[in-house]
Amino acid sequence: MKALILIVEDDPQIRRFLRATLTAEGYLYYEALTADEGIQQANTRRPDLILLDLGLPDHDGLDVIRQVRDGSQTPIVVLSARGQENDKIAALDLGADDYVAKPFGVGELLARIRAALRRSATAAMPEGSALRFGRVEVDLDKRLVRVGGEDVHLTPNEYRLLQILLKYPGKVLTQRQLLNEVWGPNHLEQAQYLRVYIAQLRRKLESDPARPKHLQTEPGIGYRLVVE
Amino acid sequence: MSGGDTKVWERSTPAREAALAAFVLAVSTGAAFVLRPHVAATNLVMVYLVGVVAVAMRCSRRTSMATSLLSVAAFDFFCVPPYLTFRVSDYQYLITFSAMLITALVISTQTARIRNHAAEVMAREARNETLYRLSRRLAGQGMVMDVARLAAEYAEEVFEGRIVIFLPEDGKIDFRRRSSDRLPVPTSEEPAAQWAFDHGEISGRGLPAMGTASALYIPLKGARETVGIMGVAPAARGRISSEQLQLLEVVANQTAMAIERTRSQHAAEVARMRMETEQMRSSLLSAVSHDLRTPLASITGAASALRAQGDKLQPETRQELLESIADEAERLSRLVSNLLDMTRLESGVELRRDYYPLEEIVGAALQRMDRQLERRQVATSLPDTLPLVYADDVLLGQLIVNLLENATKYTPEGTPIELTAQASPGFVVLEIRDRGPGFGPEEEKRIFEKFYRGRSDGSRGVGLGLAICRAVADAHQGTIEAFNREGGGAVFRMRIPSKESS
Repeated sequence: MKALILIVEDDPQIRRFLRATLTAEGYLYYEALTADEGIQQANTRRPDLILLDLGLPDHDGLDVIRQVRDGSQTPIVVLSARGQENDKIAALDLGADDYVAKPFGVGELLARIRAALRRSATAAMPEGSALRFGRVEVDLDKRLVRVGGEDVHLTPNEYRLLQILLKYPGKVLTQRQLLNEVWGPNHLEQAQYLRVYIAQLRRKLESDPARPKHLQTEPGIGYRLVVE
Repeated sequence: MSGGDTKVWERSTPAREAALAAFVLAVSTGAAFVLRPHVAATNLVMVYLVGVVAVAMRCSRRTSMATSLLSVAAFDFFCVPPYLTFRVSDYQYLITFSAMLITALVISTQTARIRNHAAEVMAREARNETLYRLSRRLAGQGMVMDVARLAAEYAEEVFEGRIVIFLPEDGKIDFRRRSSDRLPVPTSEEPAAQWAFDHGEISGRGLPAMGTASALYIPLKGARETVGIMGVAPAARGRISSEQLQLLEVVANQTAMAIERTRSQHAAEVARMRMETEQMRSSLLSAVSHDLRTPLASITGAASALRAQGDKLQPETRQELLESIADEAERLSRLVSNLLDMTRLESGVELRRDYYPLEEIVGAALQRMDRQLERRQVATSLPDTLPLVYADDVLLGQLIVNLLENATKYTPEGTPIELTAQASPGFVVLEIRDRGPGFGPEEEKRIFEKFYRGRSDGSRGVGLGLAICRAVADAHQGTIEAFNREGGGAVFRMRIPSKESS
């Protein structure tokens, strides 16, 4: 079945190009030009994914995320201007799944849409299975990690961090989200911990920690585990 | 310092002087009385002369002359027989009296003259000292009002009284533009101040012009025009001596010159800044308009060709046009980003600094440059033991991206790029090295200037990339430098504050 996408964007030129792209890829779409319209359509149309521009004429795009997240897990991909790191973080913390910075290419946008749709389809990750990405194998049952067939020892926090990232493959997780999941709500300001643990994970899992293939940094925002 | 002298003078009131003279006369007479039986009368003259010298050294000329006369009289009365009368038995004593009187008068006059001279020299020295200190204090003041305030404060230290400097606005004294509130000028006196300003002459209190005013108004006459007015209200009811007035005028002149100097410095600074802004604006405009137009022209051209003749074009041609649209748009986007970054940095953006593993920032930069570095070999060597850097990850990442971009632009395809880092006390030193053509003579200094573009084939930029790098390095209290690499190529070296430094 073709996925249904709701476009919430006020700029006609961007809508035009989104229409062309989505049609070509075989997606169905609806359009909303304002935040209010977007919230309303999200409720009535039940889209599989929402493409949301943050700069809308009537309300902040963040309001749309708040409203939509109130009772629905519909994946949201945010379209934001470059340099608005704070907005991106706020959007992700509110529950947006991903973002693309304008100007963006079609390839990037489609990849994000596909990843978000896939995640929502397999939301309930099969517990107890073994996962693989690149040379890394993770046995969630036995809490074992192997790189290139060899056992690698991870500290409990490193493992916990990897586990969270594995739970949302391809999704950007903000520093706040990761800190909250691994260290708890009292350590949200200690991003330094997180960076040091990520660096350690990279040294253990990546072949070139300075050019990570899997544990990628989103500067100023957070991290993303790339599995393909 | 003249203040001290003035005080000595003040203490020497006529009454005090008379008392001193009387005391000295009494002592001289006492001594003479004791010595009289043993010494010839003419020698007792010397005792009185010593007394005259003592008085002359401390008192005014008038007092010492009176003392001279009285000494002669006392000598006659007590030391010349018949004693205790002014009568003289031996008329030879008349010669003694005349000689004694003349000597005493000469001593009085000379001593007073010498003392006056010494006082004058001291006063002059003190005045020079005052002016020297004043001009030192006024030099290097950035604002006219600061000069006025300091000069008035200084003048008050020297003269006991209240002194305020008023500055003009549009050719009239503006009584709100004053150095302090110590001398409220009543409206009735404003004409006196304005008169002094208009005529460039002193007015006020006891002077031919506006003599009824309670204060003195001294114009601050600069080389070109009168730049303000100094209002002087003496502390005591007493009048200002002509000497003090002279000194006040000299202070006024000094102040006027300092104000003029400050004004012209200010004007020169403003002119220089305006020129620089103007130059920057025009070079920015020409660079930006050229660099914005070129990609826009290609995009418009290619897009219109596709729209108008889409079906008639060969598929490869269509593909080419599409690629050029995408590439040019990307270039345009980079350019706008650079301009925005530069503006942001120049307007003093606040850094969001924290401690980061350099590896992470470098990794993100390499990831962003992935496509452009496809045909490059980038060798990174970052030791595990590097301390965390204290940086704004987004800006530092931008710096590294710009350096990598620069390397890809100015070095031939296929040549290697190296990225290394090592710890140094308080800093992490990051180097990006290439094997390109390196820098021309002196070029390594200019490359960080805004809008400077190196010679290169085909690559076009606004010349902001490296200027942004320097701005980012500066904002981090770090450094960035470039130099030719041994064996050919360029090295960019930056020092970024690390964890140990804080």
